[in-house]
Amino acid sequence: MSPVLVGVLGCLLLLLLLFWGMPIAFVMMLVGFLGISYLSSIETALPMLADNLYGGVAHYPYTIIPLFVLMGTFATSAGITTELYNTFEKWLRRLPGGLGIATISACAGFAAVSGSSVAAAAAMGQVALPQMRRFGYDPKLATGVVAAGGTLSFLIPPSLGFVIFGMLTEQSIGKLLIAGVVPGFVLSLSYAMIVYIRVKLNPKLAPIVPGKVPLKEKFLALKGIWETLLVFLIVMGGIYGGFINPTEAGAVGAFCLFVIVLLKGRLTKKAMIDGLFDTIRISCMVIFLVAGANMFSYFLALSTIPSKVSLWIAGLGVSKYLVLTIILAIYLVLGAFLDAVSMMVLTLPVVFPIILSLNFDPVWFGVIAVLMMEAGLITPPVGLNVYTLAGIARDVPMGEIFKGTLPFLFAIFITVLAITLLPDLATYLPKMMVR
Amino acid sequence: MNKVKSIIRLLNYYTCMVGMLFLLPLMLLTTSDVLMRALFGKPIPGTFELSEYILSVSILLGAAYTQQLRGHVGVDFVLKRLGFKTQALSEAITGILCMIITGLLSWQGLLRALEESTVSDMLRIPQAPFRFLVFVAGMGLFLEFLLQVIESISRLLGGNK
Repeated sequence: MSPVLVGVLGCLLLLLLLFWGMPIAFVMMLVGFLGISYLSSIETALPMLADNLYGGVAHYPYTIIPLFVLMGTFATSAGITTELYNTFEKWLRRLPGGLGIATISACAGFAAVSGSSVAAAAAMGQVALPQMRRFGYDPKLATGVVAAGGTLSFLIPPSLGFVIFGMLTEQSIGKLLIAGVVPGFVLSLSYAMIVYIRVKLNPKLAPIVPGKVPLKEKFLALKGIWETLLVFLIVMGGIYGGFINPTEAGAVGAFCLFVIVLLKGRLTKKAMIDGLFDTIRISCMVIFLVAGANMFSYFLALSTIPSKVSLWIAGLGVSKYLVLTIILAIYLVLGAFLDAVSMMVLTLPVVFPIILSLNFDPVWFGVIAVLMMEAGLITPPVGLNVYTLAGIARDVPMGEIFKGTLPFLFAIFITVLAITLLPDLATYLPKMMVR
Repeated sequence: MNKVKSIIRLLNYYTCMVGMLFLLPLMLLTTSDVLMRALFGKPIPGTFELSEYILSVSILLGAAYTQQLRGHVGVDFVLKRLGFKTQALSEAITGILCMIITGLLSWQGLLRALEESTVSDMLRIPQAPFRFLVFVAGMGLFLEFLLQVIESISRLLGGNK
């Protein structure tokens, strides 16, 4: 059998086992191991299993994963979601869909100190959802806002999405994180515009909240955002200024939030243990996925599929934007069934060489890929954020929440289009970085 | 059987707890290193390699408990649409495949740990004990998947939902 045929059979086996419910990390390890055994030798493949995993778990740049997750854990314990929401609610409540816009703003704020979108959706679901429901917001709109707002954590740094993209493609994680700042702001703005326009067109969706907030109270409420601002400036400012690397930024950010939680006296033993267990669970899941992906990528490289596909696509002579559109369409379909991290580890070994062969900027593509993964968090039938929210808003059927998130998918596509037409939105800041 | 199951589950839980205890030291070590460098121009020697070792302890000791919580993600929407018996059979087969790969991982982890004589660059800490944790992780995962397979088979034979 030719290496390419072995590679194709390997991919088919991978898909079969994947849809059969086998955990993705172990599917990739198994198929990678079988493929390497066939194309090279079993003597090569066997030690590689252990070496590849050890190489993944004892790799300094990967320490960023538990540290970023810890940031989210401490940010949640510190009650940052509630404080952000209360601040934005006071400033924005009188706007059409004001509570929805406040929720999105608070989600964007929380995203600036946390990398987990599910944590954001869960935390904001507890805080903002009851408020929106109390003031008569349409359940579809209210749940859609929270589910979509939660996705911002995947894009706005510190973001696990960029970390994993950087790990899989060997791009600078620091540059990727900085590249997410402006697109994160653009997407937050697009989400807010969607709420505003929808409510302007149909005011029944979100009645105006009664009662004006005095200006003094508004300014006093601003104290609710200082922690977020401080941590974001230390972490992202440190990376941008070249004072600290992204891993150190994760540690310093987590430490700052840890101190804030301690000072506020909000660190209970239970919250601490639960948070640490969650951190281990997420980190294990991600690092095992990446270790599996590395094994599978090695097999794919032996099969020569990535280089052959790249050459074939380059030889077609079609516009590179057509290829990009096809890749994005594939991501949209896959996003309906796979979670964001899995989608990245499964596709990047083949997709990334194509992107490089078409001379796209890798950091720019990182932003586009992360945006598409975000879409996957709210597309039916499998949308992790929607699942999370369905557990909180038990009286709203899951189908209704999915319907509520649809307009926000549109905002993601608009942002992708904007960044494709104006790549500087993503690449200007990384180019200006000190190192 | 239930007793063996409880022992395996508890063992993996406490193993994860040990790994979990290293997370805060990881955060404190890196932060102290940054502060020492910024304030006194003297970074903590060996931070880099200590961080790598700490990460390996946390992740490898947490891997099996993560599976206990079904934290290693998979695609289950096809499985959920299958009949009860087919679902149990599928879980048993994929569980056996997972046992094979984690069993091989564990075996190779042990062999590589026994062969390993490397020490870290700065602090001269031997790598072998940390490599041995690949064996521990593989074994813990193997046992978790074994429990999954036994549960699936008993569901398949017993027919209780």
